[in-house]
Amino acid sequence: MTAPPLTPVAPAARPVTAPDPAPKGRARRRDRKDRDTISVEWVKLELMRTAYATRGGLLSKRDPRVVIWWYLLFAVVPWFTHSVTVLASLFVLAAVAVLVSRVGPLVLGLFVIGLLAEGFYLLVAAAIFGGGTESIVALAELTLKLGTISMASMAAFVSLDPEKLSDALLSLRAPALLSFAVSYGYRMLPMLMEEFHTIIDGHRLRSAPLPSKGFLGWRVVVRLGTTVVQAFYPMMLNTAKRTRTTVEALETKGFTFAAENDAGRRIRLAYLKVRLGDVVFLAVSALLVAGAFWLGTQFPVLD
Amino acid sequence: MTPVPAAPASEVPAIEVEDLWFRYPGAADDTLRGVDLRIEQGDFVAVVGGNGSGKTTLCKTFNGLVPHFWSGDLVGSVRILGEDTQDLTVAALSHRIGYVYQDFAAQLVRPTVRDEVTFAPVNFGLDDWSERADTALAALDITELADRFTWQLSGGQQHLTALASVMALRPRVIVVDEPVAELDPARATEIYERLAQLNREGTTVVVIEHHAEFVARYARSVVLMADGAPRWHLPVADALARTSDLDDAGIPAPQVVAVARALEQDGPVPLTVPDAARWLDERGHRPARARQAPTGPAPTGQAPAGQVPATTRPRGQGEAAVAARLSGVVHGYRSVSGAWNPVLDGLDLTLREGERVALVGSNGAGKSTLLRLLTGLKVPRSGDVVVGGTNTKTVSASQLSDQVCYLYQRPEQMFVKDSVRADVGYFPVDRKRSGADELVERVLDRVRLAELADRDGRLLSGGQQRRATLAIGLAMQPALLLLDEPTSSLDVRSRDDVIEMLAALAEHIRCVVVATHDMHLVAEWADRVIVLDGGRIIEDTDPATLFSRPGVLTRARLVPPQVAQLGATIGMLPPPLSVAELLARLAPNLPDAHLPDAHLPDAHRTRTDAR
Repeated sequence: MTAPPLTPVAPAARPVTAPDPAPKGRARRRDRKDRDTISVEWVKLELMRTAYATRGGLLSKRDPRVVIWWYLLFAVVPWFTHSVTVLASLFVLAAVAVLVSRVGPLVLGLFVIGLLAEGFYLLVAAAIFGGGTESIVALAELTLKLGTISMASMAAFVSLDPEKLSDALLSLRAPALLSFAVSYGYRMLPMLMEEFHTIIDGHRLRSAPLPSKGFLGWRVVVRLGTTVVQAFYPMMLNTAKRTRTTVEALETKGFTFAAENDAGRRIRLAYLKVRLGDVVFLAVSALLVAGAFWLGTQFPVLD
Repeated sequence: MTPVPAAPASEVPAIEVEDLWFRYPGAADDTLRGVDLRIEQGDFVAVVGGNGSGKTTLCKTFNGLVPHFWSGDLVGSVRILGEDTQDLTVAALSHRIGYVYQDFAAQLVRPTVRDEVTFAPVNFGLDDWSERADTALAALDITELADRFTWQLSGGQQHLTALASVMALRPRVIVVDEPVAELDPARATEIYERLAQLNREGTTVVVIEHHAEFVARYARSVVLMADGAPRWHLPVADALARTSDLDDAGIPAPQVVAVARALEQDGPVPLTVPDAARWLDERGHRPARARQAPTGPAPTGQAPAGQVPATTRPRGQGEAAVAARLSGVVHGYRSVSGAWNPVLDGLDLTLREGERVALVGSNGAGKSTLLRLLTGLKVPRSGDVVVGGTNTKTVSASQLSDQVCYLYQRPEQMFVKDSVRADVGYFPVDRKRSGADELVERVLDRVRLAELADRDGRLLSGGQQRRATLAIGLAMQPALLLLDEPTSSLDVRSRDDVIEMLAALAEHIRCVVVATHDMHLVAEWADRVIVLDGGRIIEDTDPATLFSRPGVLTRARLVPPQVAQLGATIGMLPPPLSVAELLARLAPNLPDAHLPDAHLPDAHRTRTDAR
C-alpha cells in the first residue's frame, strides 16, 4: 500500500491516563449504573411488549373484530352526552378495561402524566381567563371524554398483536394495502428502533462532551433534541435503501397477486371466528354503557 | 396462471439463457452482454465474479424481476424449465424459481416465522398452504422457530427462514445471493449443508458466492462472470484449477488449491482438506521435522476453561502497559418476556499496549457486548471496566471516547453527516482540536478516499465504506481501537485491503481489538486471540495454538483457515497460518523422507517451560 506516513496522527501527544482517573473531586456526581427500569433499553422493551401484546389480558383472548367494535363503542358513546355522571362512569369502566388488559407501566405512566398535566393546565386556564366553575366543568367534561377514549384505545391496541389487527381490518373490508401497512409497520418497528439507537450512540461517541449540564440541564435537553433530529435522516436513508429488497420480495411472494385474487384473503381470515364468549363480552359491555346512562338519569350532577 | 408447474421432462434445462443483453434505464453501458448459459436440472452452480460483473442482474433475469420489475432494454431470451420468462409474470415464475436475497433481514416481511413461511402460499390461495409451510420448515430443520418473531432470530436463523419462505412454493430452482456473508463459520457450513440436502432431493441450486472454499466443497459447476457475460461454465474441479482466471476476477483460489498450484503449475488440484492431504502425500510432500517457531508470543499451557488471566501469559520483553482491564464483569439484558439473559459472566481480561487482539466466538457469545462495555456506552451490571486508568462508570461515553474508538459492524450506521469528509471531521472538529482540517485531509489521503470525500458514505462501494469507517476511527486518534466485524460481506480483494490497513495501523494506535468470525483475518493479522463462549473466556492464546486445539474450536464453533487444517492434518504443529508458511515448512521433496531427528520445535520447548 502506497500511502503517506501518518506520524502526526500518533496519539502519543495526549496522556493516556486521561481526564481524571480518580473519582475524587467528582463527589457530587454519581457513578453510572446499568438499570432494569427507566433506561433506554427498558423503554424499547416496553414498546415491544405493548406493540406485540405479549402480556395477555382479557381482551387479547377475544376475536380481534370484536375488540375493534368494543373500541368503537367506547370511542363514540362519550360524544353523545354532557352528563358528568355518565362520563365519570364511562371513565371508570375504561379504567377497569385498562387494568384487565394489563397495559404496561410505560404507556400507563405517560397517560397519567398527560392527564395530570392537562388537569393542571385547565385549572390555570380557568383561573387566568376567569370562567368560574362553569368553564371548569366544561373543561373537566372534555378531559373525561378524552381520558375515556384514550384508555379504551390503550386497552384495545395493547391487546391486538399486529397480525390480529391487520386481519381484523382486512375482514372489515379495509383496503388490503392498509391492512398490510399496519402489519409491515409493526414488522419495521424493532428494526427502526435498533437503527435509531445505534445512530444515537454513534453521536454520543463522536460529539464533544458538554462542558456542563447548564441550568436545569438545558444543555442536555438541547443536545438530546439536536441529536434526535440529526439521527433521523441517516436512519431513514439506511432503511430506505433496504426497502428495495423488501419490495422485490413482496412481488415474488405474490403480494400483488393476492390483491387481485380473493383466495388468499379467504385462507388468511379462515381462523377468525366470533364465539359465544365474544358475544357475551360485547353484550356485557353494552349493558354496562347503558347502565352508565341510567346512572346519569338517576344522579344528575351539574347537568 | 397455473400455480404448480407440471414436472417437465428431465432433458429440459433448468435455466437456458440465449444471447441475453440488458441495460438498466438511464445507464450508459449494458450490464449483461451476450450471455449464453445452460444450467441443467439437479445442478449446484456457483456464480462467481468480481463486484459489478453482472452476477446479481443475471440472477434477477431468472425469476423475471428483470425485465418485469426492473424495466430496461432486454434482448435475447431466458427460459426457466422450458418456459420463456417474458411470457410469465413474476408471481407465476416464483412457483418455478425461488430467490433468496443477500440482505435476508429485509426480505422478511411478516412478524413471525410461521407467518413469513405461509405468506406466499396464502397469497397465491393454495389450499395446502399450511402443509407446505410445515414441510418447508421441517426440510430446513427450523420447525421449533415457527412461533418466534423474526426480529428475535439470529442471522443464521433469519437466513433459514428466508429460505423456507421461498421453499414453501416448492420451486424446482432456487437462487441464493451470498448465503454466508455475515455468519460465523459453523453456521455458514450449516446453511450450505441444507442447500446441499435440497439439491440432493432434486432442487437445482444457484449460489452467488465470494468464498472459494464453499464453492470447492459444495458446488458441482462454476460460472465465472466477467464484464457482463460468463467467461466459462465448467465442472468445479476444472474451474478451480484455473487459478489465474479466478484471480483476475478477484476470487483468490481456496488455500488448498493455492498450495497445490505453488507446487505444480498444471494438472488436477485438490478441492478439500482431506483431498489436499492425500495429494501432498502422493507426491511425497511431508512436513520438515525441524522448523522455525511461529512469530508472535509463545503459547500458554493448557489452562482450565474460563480461568485464563491474561496477566499470567508469558511475554518476551517484560510487561507492556495496560490499555484496558476488565475485572469480574457481569452483564446481560432483559428479553421481552422480562427474563434476564446473562451475556458476560464474571469476565476478567487485561489488554496491553502493542497488542493486536482478535475476539472470536459464535454469534451471541458476547463479543459485541464486550466491545460496548469498553466504549462506555454501557456500564457493567457488576465488576469494573477500566480503560486507560479511567473507570467507565465515572465518566460519560462521550468523555471516554478521547481514548476509545468503536467502529460499528455496518458502515452505514457510522455515516451520520452528509459527506465522508464531514463524517471523518465530526470528532476532531466538534472537539476543536487544533489542526483538525489538516488531520482530516491526511486521514482521507491515507485511506485513498480523497477524491470521494464529498460524497455521502452510503453511496460508496462496500470496500470504500469500510475504508471510510477506518478513516473516522483514525481521525479520532484513539489509544484503543475497537472494530466489530471489519471484514464481513466484503469481497476478498477489499478484505485483504482492510487487513493490510489494520496491520499498518499498529504503529499509530496502541491497542486494536477486533471482534470477528473471519479466521483468515485472525490468522493473518492477530497476535492474540480471545475465545468467548457462554459469557466466559475459554481460551486466550495466539492463532497458531488456537488452531491446534480441536476441543476449543468445536465448542466455540470456529473453523480454522484451510491451510491451518491442512497443516494439522499432515502433522505440522503448531499449524501454519498462511500458504507461504505451509510451503516453507514442507520438507524438501525427497523420496526417502527419513530425516535425522532434529531438535524439538521451539514452540514445544516454550510450552514446557511455561508450565
